[in-house]
Amino acid sequence: MLIEFKVNGKSYQIDVCPSMRLIDLLRDELGLTGTKEGCGEGECGSCTVIMDEKAVNSCLVLAPQVDGKEIITVEGLAEDGQLDSLQQKFLEHSAVECGFCTPGMLMSAKALLMKNPHPTDEEIRTAIAGNLCRCAGYAKIVAAIKAAADSTDQ
Amino acid sequence: MKKEFKYVGRTFPPDHGVRKVTGDLDYCCDVKMPNMLYAKLLLSPIPHGIVKQINTSRAEKVPGVIKIFSHFNSPNKMFSTYRIIPGQQMCFEDETLFAERVKYVGDRVAAVVATSLAAAREAVSLIDIEYEELPALLTPEEALNNREVKIQPRGNVVHEYVVDVGDVPPTTEDCITMESETQTQRIHHAAIEPHGCIAYYDTAGKLTIWTPTQSVYGVRTVVAELFDMNYSDVRVIKLPIGGSFGGKQEFLFEPVTSFMAMETKRPVKLILDREECIIHTRVRPPVKTRIKTTVTKSGKLLELIADSTLDSGAYAGASPDYVATLSQKVCKLYRIPHYRHSGRAVYTNTVRSGGSRGWGAPEIITAVEIHMDQLAKKLGMDPVEFRLQNLVHPYDMDPVVQLSLGDARVIECLQKGAEAFRWKERYNSQDKQGRYRRGVGVACGAHKNGMYGGFIDSTSMVLKMNEDGSLNLNASIHDVGCGIGTVMKIIIAEVLDIDPALITVTEADTEYTGYDPGVYGSRVTYVVGACAKKVAEMLKEQILENAALILGKPKEYLRVEKGCVYTVGEAEKRVISYQEIAEKAIRENFRSLNAAYTYHSSSNPGSYSVQFAEVVVDTVTGLTSVTDFLAVSDIGRALNRGMIEGQFQGAVQMGIGYALCEEVRIDEKGRPLNNSFANYHMLTALDMPDVKVLLIEHEGDEGPFGAKSIGEISTVPTAAAVINAVNNALGTSLSDLPVTPDKILAALAEQKRVRVC
Ligand code: FES
Ligand code: FES
Repeated sequence: MLIEFKVNGKSYQIDVCPSMRLIDLLRDELGLTGTKEGCGEGECGSCTVIMDEKAVNSCLVLAPQVDGKEIITVEGLAEDGQLDSLQQKFLEHSAVECGFCTPGMLMSAKALLMKNPHPTDEEIRTAIAGNLCRCAGYAKIVAAIKAAADSTDQ
Repeated sequence: MKKEFKYVGRTFPPDHGVRKVTGDLDYCCDVKMPNMLYAKLLLSPIPHGIVKQINTSRAEKVPGVIKIFSHFNSPNKMFSTYRIIPGQQMCFEDETLFAERVKYVGDRVAAVVATSLAAAREAVSLIDIEYEELPALLTPEEALNNREVKIQPRGNVVHEYVVDVGDVPPTTEDCITMESETQTQRIHHAAIEPHGCIAYYDTAGKLTIWTPTQSVYGVRTVVAELFDMNYSDVRVIKLPIGGSFGGKQEFLFEPVTSFMAMETKRPVKLILDREECIIHTRVRPPVKTRIKTTVTKSGKLLELIADSTLDSGAYAGASPDYVATLSQKVCKLYRIPHYRHSGRAVYTNTVRSGGSRGWGAPEIITAVEIHMDQLAKKLGMDPVEFRLQNLVHPYDMDPVVQLSLGDARVIECLQKGAEAFRWKERYNSQDKQGRYRRGVGVACGAHKNGMYGGFIDSTSMVLKMNEDGSLNLNASIHDVGCGIGTVMKIIIAEVLDIDPALITVTEADTEYTGYDPGVYGSRVTYVVGACAKKVAEMLKEQILENAALILGKPKEYLRVEKGCVYTVGEAEKRVISYQEIAEKAIRENFRSLNAAYTYHSSSNPGSYSVQFAEVVVDTVTGLTSVTDFLAVSDIGRALNRGMIEGQFQGAVQMGIGYALCEEVRIDEKGRPLNNSFANYHMLTALDMPDVKVLLIEHEGDEGPFGAKSIGEISTVPTAAAVINAVNNALGTSLSDLPVTPDKILAALAEQKRVRVC
């Protein structure tokens, strides 16, 4: 089937098999491999992308659901080589270790800040509760998201 | 005297940090090669049986299928996935590429190679296999008691040992003895990156393997020996790794993927899915430990006798060494006049056990620390006071491995931690009534710093200064996700006083980087870091020598600062920059600036962590939440502070899971019940307490600037601290991990029953 959608501001028209998952569409068809697959069953969050301003597990979204939608992936965060403040704060706050959960974490955090620019710690923890990290124990990630929220304030 | 550092102890982002946050860094799953094929494994659905027949006719019809492999068309040479160097002891060659007799649910039966993963997957589902089922032994007890069924031809015992050191001293005091039993469980390493690798065998007969491994040289040993190839014809390249925790220490899939690449003459990529990661890689071994201690009434330990049984799963792998290490932790922690530890690793028809963060320490220390709390309770002593009487002191001798424990500061960790956690106050003011019960727990842990005393512990590297003054460290770095490359940069930067951003560090590649056995035994900071410091010091000498030639001044009158060489004594006048020196060294002095060194470790001090937990247990649901946590570390010297704190917080996440909820259970048919993240529960951001980290810094050991390991020790005492807190809250003596709501409710019911009687 033919679907039309936007990824990181760019429009695409692609003929896909209806059972194709969004994660495969991004990684295999568009070469956007920043989105990672940690479980393939909606449990780890490493495949999180933003679809129409909501964080979704791209391993659970099928191609027909993408039709007419606007997707943001981790590759769409930096603008003109300038890191997004979330990316910057993740680096400054040691919120990145192996980095495999990082794209998903960033996208969950971005979706949160898009609708709630001043989240509490609890709201941040809730927003990333579907993102597993085995390396860093979340504290640094929460601090980085908080710092990013504070920095966009100024 | 407090030393001032410019780089050491600050916080730097990990190597490739920018590429990680932009999604630009390619992990194994992201790598594509021209003509690449995809492999999919077929794993055994039964725990024990013979693969009688394989019918691939339906599978072969799937478009895109290139070849299907099983024991019928592959070599049956036995190998060990654990061997790092040729001639290594305790590597039992007990497996083949594909099993003829499957020995656990998840054993490798067959594989399909196809032009797409979808085709490979579909073809696997169409392979028909006829098994002759055999009786399965699912627990060490069954395996030890059943003499008819042999899981491996050698029998069901993989390895046994006894360690017996010291004597019970004479005492006039009254003594008590106490016994306990602790069962720790099988857990999944749960690196978020799934396992996998890529192999290519070119037309000239060279095999190249790209893999996120903990040891490229180990991969080469296993693969070259298996296929009878020259080591020089096998090139292994380390890829970025999305977490490991010991799970990528053995050479699991490189042999089979290489074989498929050799057969198809095309690059073959194998990436496991999550279920395969859980059932077909390695798990932390389940261990049962019985401990009996004798202690004086005033709280001095006289004797500790332990007996451990480790479930190895269906193959030996790391288990023979692993079980032996259980006996090498306790005397690093406590002064015990008489210590005896017997143990055995036993084959069962279950998921294979393997190296796992802490290597025996979380297993044995959990048992010991739960025991110590019960002992303190029996003596009517505060658990902190009791431990303080018995912990090791700096420069004590470890009687088991016969090495000095170095500047072991566990007592200081416990004292400072107790103060920071307000232990006395919180321990004595617990409210033990009502539905929600609050409790606090403490546990101490010990680990090591490298392999010295037991295994090779050397590393080779070259540090080069480029013509513009930037640096390249050529070393077999295996970053396992905690920023090892960055640590090397910080060390070099400190010695040369140069911006770490000007240093590039290679990752391991057998063709281009020097020998290093890999990431084991918490050796990287202590040993590899010490080598980086040494080459930086050597390079500094060369810089000064060349500056001396250029300036016509003896090098004794020169010093370095901020990437320049200054003359000593003169006003702060910059004399010559590294860039000018490097350029002139080549152009005018006909020298290049590079230092090469092979470093051997010559000590192995103890690393320590003491951890404090506060929990609240709901006595109606049995649910436990960890509400506060303090991790204290005898780190020696913090190199990359923020990353260290993060590593501790991650280690605590793993340790709390070990205590409360993580487990790969096996049902009565031998099937793993927890085979996905939907039913394998780990702590999320909402479940984690605020983990505070307190670092005790000093400089008594030979690691770089006094630094000691933290990667493994950080998780060693966590589970015991949490369980001791639960027992403190409830007045129970739970010691069967994980302490799930069911077990808690059962213990409370039992408590009630006993009270009523
Ligand atoms: S890969 Fe999608 S949630 Fe894990
Ligand atoms: S940084 Fe490794 S899983 Fe989060």
